[in-house]
Amino acid sequence: MTITTSNLAVEATGVWKVFNEGQANEVTALQDVNLSVDTGEFISLIGPSGCGKSTLLRVIADLTEATRGEMKVAGHTPHEAREQQLYGMAFQQAALFEWRTVRRNVELPLELQGWDKDKRKDRAMELLDMVQLADFAEHRPWELSGGMQQRVAIARSLAVDPTILLMDEPFGALDEMTRERMQNELLRIRKETGKSIIFVTHSIPEAVYLSDRVVVMSPRPGRITDIVPVPLGDARDEDTREADEFFDAVTAVREALRGHVGGAGARAKVGEV
Amino acid sequence: MSNAATIERPAPSGASRSSGMARRMKNGGISLLWALAGVGLVVIMWELVKWLGNYIPMPFNTSDMTMPHVWTMVAAMGEPEVRGSENTVLDAVISAALRSLMLAVGGFIIGVAVGLLLAVIMQRFLFAERGLLPFVIASQTVPLIALAPLIVGIGNRIEIGPVKWTTTYSVMFIAAYLAFFPLSVGALRGLQAPSPTSLELMRSYAASPGQTTRKLRFPSSIPYLVPALKVSAAAAVVGTVVAEISTGVRGGIGRLLIEYARQITSQPAKVYVAVFGAIALGLLVAALVTALDVYLTRNLPKEKNA
Repeated sequence: MTITTSNLAVEATGVWKVFNEGQANEVTALQDVNLSVDTGEFISLIGPSGCGKSTLLRVIADLTEATRGEMKVAGHTPHEAREQQLYGMAFQQAALFEWRTVRRNVELPLELQGWDKDKRKDRAMELLDMVQLADFAEHRPWELSGGMQQRVAIARSLAVDPTILLMDEPFGALDEMTRERMQNELLRIRKETGKSIIFVTHSIPEAVYLSDRVVVMSPRPGRITDIVPVPLGDARDEDTREADEFFDAVTAVREALRGHVGGAGARAKVGEV
Repeated sequence: MSNAATIERPAPSGASRSSGMARRMKNGGISLLWALAGVGLVVIMWELVKWLGNYIPMPFNTSDMTMPHVWTMVAAMGEPEVRGSENTVLDAVISAALRSLMLAVGGFIIGVAVGLLLAVIMQRFLFAERGLLPFVIASQTVPLIALAPLIVGIGNRIEIGPVKWTTTYSVMFIAAYLAFFPLSVGALRGLQAPSPTSLELMRSYAASPGQTTRKLRFPSSIPYLVPALKVSAAAAVVGTVVAEISTGVRGGIGRLLIEYARQITSQPAKVYVAVFGAIALGLLVAALVTALDVYLTRNLPKEKNA
């Protein structure tokens, strides 16, 4: 490997997350996770419920701590990365503050960092322009559709110009058409900003369409079982969704998922070690 | 952008605000009519019951001694408060009600401040919630009549520089004592209301606990705060009137009620005028809180504060 540590957006080495360790209701949410994400790379975490994909994202974001192992985020501990705002985060719920206008929602992280009013406003307008919602800057969040709200949330997550974007099923609550449009939007934003993106999803086509690599996870205990590269290149558009390479990658991910979901019962014993 | 077409662009906010104001005033006018109709209905019922009492036995006394005619009450308003005095009964009731209003509002403000402070402390520190909440609840089980002389007794010894504790302060204290409770319980629930996602969002921004309280918890507590404010305001009014009676402080509507009640055999209508004064006081405070409500919820979706 020629990549040095500083070039990695995320580096997980032997990361474990065990809830209620030593008690009867002990759950191994993450078992020996090893993962390197290059700077500028788009990675999807996919797997059935309970496979630990959200937990992994939360460990990266310092919303929960790894029980064992080492996690590096842009060369820092997750705690330092959070304190220095090296990542931005978007959730399934847009979680916009309804008492604030759209623009003031995007300004929130900047406000917390103590930016002054004019700079804050300029930056928010710049971002709203990027997600094509500048016309709605002074509207209230509840006046916007679900897809538009999610775009505001993405703009907000980019406000402090973090190097990494962590997204936990951000399009999970949207209808299929809106979802595909949002995916194109996200690819465009990625191209414009060059962010490293870690994207949690349930959808195989979504993971394939967006990612450079798809990380396949399996539950009980949650662990990485496969990493499927997606050889679709950087120029992806609506035609990509109908290309043979796209279907091949979808099949590869599906088989990777199926290979492990079927044997969950047998694997549960291994997890007890 | 094709998404932009999916929602209608509302009118500029200035225009929508003024049309909203007009609608609100129109609605206000209709409510006022309904309220007046309600008062009229009560007057008619009152007189009807009195008139029926002349012919069929009623389970209560409908004589002029206990249930004076409405016009007797109106006339009593214009009578001199004491023989030969220039002040009418109405003047006395209004000035007493205004004085009580000052005390009630003072008690309300202190109660709200204390209630909010307690709620923030209880939200921030779990041990404080565990330790304080039982006391907060227990505080409300102490009978007010037992408390009033105690507060007057303790208060009378307080003297900070030129400021000497008077029974007026005791009244305000009791009003605040009743008012802080609904507010602190409501505010605590409100401060705990933000969704886990919103809280994690604030954490991901490395927001301090103080920032989270100010930027997230306070604004999200408003839907809980508004009904709590209403209950607190009512408690402050009741607290003021009861405290005026039990501490014997002069000048307020509570004391006036007692004085007029003593004269019920000679001037039964007078006590009703004082009761109306107390009701007007309550309505005035309710109106103040409604104004506060409109202000606090101005940025929230309208179906929520309906």
